[in-house]
Amino acid sequence: MSTVTTRADSTVVRPWQQLVIIWALLLTVPFWLPLLGGYTAIAGRVLVMALAAMGLNLLLGYTGVLSFGHAAYFGLGAYGAGLTLKYVAASTPLAILAGTLLGGIAGTLFGLLLVRRRGVYFAMVTIAFGQVCFYIAYKWDDFTGGYDGLRGFVRAPLDFGLFKLDIAGNGTLFYYFVLFVFGIAVGLQALILKSPFGRTMLAIRENERRARFLGLPVEKHIWLSFSISCFFTALAGTLYALLNNFADPLGLNYVMSGNIVMIAVMGGMRTFWGPLVGAVLFVMLQDYVSSMTTNWMFFVGTTFVLVVLLFPRGLMGLLQRKGAGS
Amino acid sequence: MTSKLTLTKRRTFLTATAAIAGAQFTGPFIIKARGETPVKIGFIDPITGSLSALAVTEVESAKWTVEQLNKKGGILGREVQLLVEDSANDTGTGVQKAHKLIERDKVDVIMGDVNSGIAYAIMGVTAEKKVFHVVPGGHTDPITGKDCKWNVFRTCNTTAMDAAAVTGELVKKFGKKWFFITPDYAYGKTLQENFVKNLKKAGGTFEGDMLPIANADFSATLIKAKAYKPDVLLNNMGGAAQLNCMKQFVQFGMAKEMALGGALYELETLRSVPKEALTGWWVFEWWWNQPNVPAVKTFVDAISPAIGNKKPTARHWMAYVSIMAIKLAAEKAKSLEAVKMAHALSDMELPPEVSLSPNKVRYRAGDHQLMSDIFVGEVQQAGAGGPDDLFKVETVVKGEDAAGSAEDTGCKINWPA
Repeated sequence: MSTVTTRADSTVVRPWQQLVIIWALLLTVPFWLPLLGGYTAIAGRVLVMALAAMGLNLLLGYTGVLSFGHAAYFGLGAYGAGLTLKYVAASTPLAILAGTLLGGIAGTLFGLLLVRRRGVYFAMVTIAFGQVCFYIAYKWDDFTGGYDGLRGFVRAPLDFGLFKLDIAGNGTLFYYFVLFVFGIAVGLQALILKSPFGRTMLAIRENERRARFLGLPVEKHIWLSFSISCFFTALAGTLYALLNNFADPLGLNYVMSGNIVMIAVMGGMRTFWGPLVGAVLFVMLQDYVSSMTTNWMFFVGTTFVLVVLLFPRGLMGLLQRKGAGS
Repeated sequence: MTSKLTLTKRRTFLTATAAIAGAQFTGPFIIKARGETPVKIGFIDPITGSLSALAVTEVESAKWTVEQLNKKGGILGREVQLLVEDSANDTGTGVQKAHKLIERDKVDVIMGDVNSGIAYAIMGVTAEKKVFHVVPGGHTDPITGKDCKWNVFRTCNTTAMDAAAVTGELVKKFGKKWFFITPDYAYGKTLQENFVKNLKKAGGTFEGDMLPIANADFSATLIKAKAYKPDVLLNNMGGAAQLNCMKQFVQFGMAKEMALGGALYELETLRSVPKEALTGWWVFEWWWNQPNVPAVKTFVDAISPAIGNKKPTARHWMAYVSIMAIKLAAEKAKSLEAVKMAHALSDMELPPEVSLSPNKVRYRAGDHQLMSDIFVGEVQQAGAGGPDDLFKVETVVKGEDAAGSAEDTGCKINWPA
């Protein structure tokens, strides 16, 4: 491992180059995507799924713990935002705040109960909690809209006093709003990963026993990592509700959890930008191939299998030499 | 050598030019008459997932209908293009596809979805983008009830209509003591509420169980039903659960003790159930065997060869009526502008070759719900009409009579300024 980390500077594409390329592409999406036959709304969906998977990646890629129930926090974020817009106030920032807090706090509380589990047991308990949230949303018809989903809310324009930003009626403006929130979120994630706490997450991932012998409170750190991860995924959920003007129980279902894991793994779960690349691949495949054939899931599945077999570090692993992401 | 090549090229050029010029005269004149831009209809349906059997039928019919329309000059003299997108029974994907069809493909009209939840979500997008939208087969009431929109029209019935249509018949034939087996989600709850409302009006009593949507073991509930001794057992479950419930109902020997009935049943499901489960009193939203309506026979004869020589189902009818209604609305409005089309279609009586029904049928102005005929009758083992003759129509209830007033649905249509 030590020989690997010393070769970090031999990255094919250096981090600052990655950053410039990624942000240049993201900032200019409304200009080049239509030329390639795309549309701005799909770029918003890519960002949302990427943020959800990046949230999961803090846990999966950087702490080494697999959650198969992150859709719960994603969906709770979506319901939190939708319920706020519907019943409390027509304020988009308030909806985002409420949804993020709902999903994040739920994750924090669930996390307390599962930090002592490891491996398959940890994953199983996360699925169970996810399904609990799914059935609550599914059964509580009067409040959540049940199986039909929560409707009757729309994202509100942003009111800055002197001027208003019409993110409700202008798709391009809404994309930039999502990108702005995405930018803040990934900036925060980068700060967390660079902090001493971020380094302890890596230490736990690499060798939990050694980290424990070094005196690190492993359970507490995993719980914190899980909690932070849930806050970011819940934030993505709030944006998903705003994107669709709708929240439904399938957003809380284990199938969605599987999609989030798949995105993180395809993109590269030990790399910072991997989930974004995974989201581009997953959403585009789903969108374009499903227009051509009803067997589109076969192609998504085959791509996943091929990526896992040929590039175990995900697509971003192609751009980075072994270990550069560590 | 050079001169030979030049000569060959010139000859080729002349031949090609003559061929292209000739093609202008030999091609179908109808194509020449069409405008340059096609009329685009975007159809979002769950072609994959648990509702795929119904969605595939709708899409099959939509493709056939568009083909027929194009043979007769399209819509407003323009070719019709059908763009089908799979919602995969997922709301987020459905909404994404609506954006794709409207923003990228610039469709004039949206159709979809079988899944009511997705239909709701798509309604949000089409209303925001002011695109004309027809829901061929999503049943939950609020689509044309309290959540109705000026641009949305629905072809299939509401659960309230289906329940109202069959209640009178079941009470009249069997009695007022009922037992419900209902799926525990919004559709099932709305359906049961509507049944109970109608039953109470008739002075009836009831008991029932709400079960998970994909329930497989009905023994406990059936024992409970047996002890209650109802006149009718209402099976409101859907798909495989509906089938399992019916099989166990027959195995428990309950068919001799009480009548079996329910609201929605589909020919697609009937084809796959075992013989012993072909029983009970049900509602069909359209039936292929209507001897007194000549237009139905014409339709059945025309579409059958294109769908594997089977009889068309209610889902074929829903997609057919929806597309024909789009044509009628556009031609009455002389425009593809959503507001004009919506005004044109409101209260328009559909001609018999479109409605394919014995009574007058229209999309009601008050809630944009199609007031179609509802076929109440008994499911039977294959009759004289062939393997698809699995239902015997006893009564046809007029949509207007089953639906109640538009005001009662809670719909208030707010037209754009």
